[in-house]
Amino acid sequence: MSGAEEETKRVSRRHFLKGSLALPLALTVAGGLLTVPSLRRADARGFYLRPPGALAEKCFLGACIRCGKCVQACPYRAIRLAETDAGVAIGTPFIIAREEPCQLCTDLPCIKSCPSGALDKGVTEVEKVRMGTAVIIDRENCLSIRGLRCEVCYRNCPLIDRAITIEPRHNPRTGVHTIMEPVVHRDKCVGCGICEKSCVREQPVIVVQRTPLPQQDAYEF
Amino acid sequence: MNFRRWTIIRRLVQVGVLCLIASPLAGFSFFQGSLAAGELLGIPLADPLAALQVVLASGVVASAFLLSALGVTLFYWLLGGRFFCGWVCPVYLLTELGDKLRLLIPAGKLEIPLKTKGWMLLAVACITALSGVPFFEIVSPIGMTTRAIAFDGRSALLCLAGLLLVEVTLARRLWCRSLCPLGGFYALVGRVAPLRLRFQPARCSSCGDCSRVCPVAEVLVPSLDHGTEQIRSGDCTRCGRCVDCCPEGALTYCFGYSDQGGPR
Repeated sequence: MSGAEEETKRVSRRHFLKGSLALPLALTVAGGLLTVPSLRRADARGFYLRPPGALAEKCFLGACIRCGKCVQACPYRAIRLAETDAGVAIGTPFIIAREEPCQLCTDLPCIKSCPSGALDKGVTEVEKVRMGTAVIIDRENCLSIRGLRCEVCYRNCPLIDRAITIEPRHNPRTGVHTIMEPVVHRDKCVGCGICEKSCVREQPVIVVQRTPLPQQDAYEF
Repeated sequence: MNFRRWTIIRRLVQVGVLCLIASPLAGFSFFQGSLAAGELLGIPLADPLAALQVVLASGVVASAFLLSALGVTLFYWLLGGRFFCGWVCPVYLLTELGDKLRLLIPAGKLEIPLKTKGWMLLAVACITALSGVPFFEIVSPIGMTTRAIAFDGRSALLCLAGLLLVEVTLARRLWCRSLCPLGGFYALVGRVAPLRLRFQPARCSSCGDCSRVCPVAEVLVPSLDHGTEQIRSGDCTRCGRCVDCCPEGALTYCFGYSDQGGPR
């Protein structure tokens, strides 16, 4: 390198600190400060019904790279991607069961398509899927619980007589009839949402919710 | 030179990538996914920065995923690192459009150092590790664009319009030149890449055409002034615009390393 070129290459310390360190650092810090508060807790925006095999929500948000391959793999087009209103969950896959529930394909193509492990490849049987748990949220409006012979959710359940059973009991209102009550069994329900889709009421009385955490307590009997 | 060979080829590749991302919509199945992760003719592809973020954010290690990310990194290393920016990335195409728009309106001239990309890469890694979410995949205009193309992401298009507005009014090619952390990653890869631009000082007439079209003129000009044999900077996108515009043919693509030093 000749003397003249060295002259042009020489940068003063002040110039270097200002141009190459201070400004970029300030930019990144400012950007970070602007964006970090908008990263809300994983469950801050309520429950998203994730595709089969999804890791626990917090881990899922970290492992999902928002590529959309599961959306393209789903033959029923049940999986869609969250939009900007989903905050940190933008671009993550979810299912609106009332519109198109998970049909529980036996080969689970969505899990196979996931590159990053956000959908756990260890889940290979539909019975092992745990997307959520169906809950009858509106007993007053459930036709079966009111004493009619509806039981549509029970008939449509892919795990009929395992995830949903019919528990007959006396109908105290009429005195002579039976109430055929659908009961969801948390240990068997996979949370596919087919019951939510099939509920005949205008607003579904059975919906898929986040699976409640098991609680340890002294009330064993 | 009127016939802009490399620019035409590059445009075809860029549009080809867009078509590839949109192809599942038309019912084709040879490509699936997006630029974050995809599958081309059964070959799994993964964005190395996305893979890094998954490991940092969740600790989930999918070996096949990391291997495909490594493969993609090697591919872009071979072709010059920011080759991804210049030839593949749809946001680069968008900011090139912004560059054209700048000719029509009074445009801002803010200059932010190219090195900021590297700092952004570091910031993304830190925020990802601290927050437990792959931060860049959430805010990335690249992800937003590809999702908007492959799926129906209309609200993401608003963000892209905002980006274009900033590009035009504030600073030329702000995102691609100075801010994109993925560009920062590929700039690091590109420093040691074998595909480079070759400069023949004997042919150069110092007309300055190349520095006018170059998106990163501040790394091109010192190399030319120095009379170096190769442009060694990782910031060079290998877009070939200088190759096309040089009337003397002093700039060409070359493959391999020259021993001669020169500015990075």
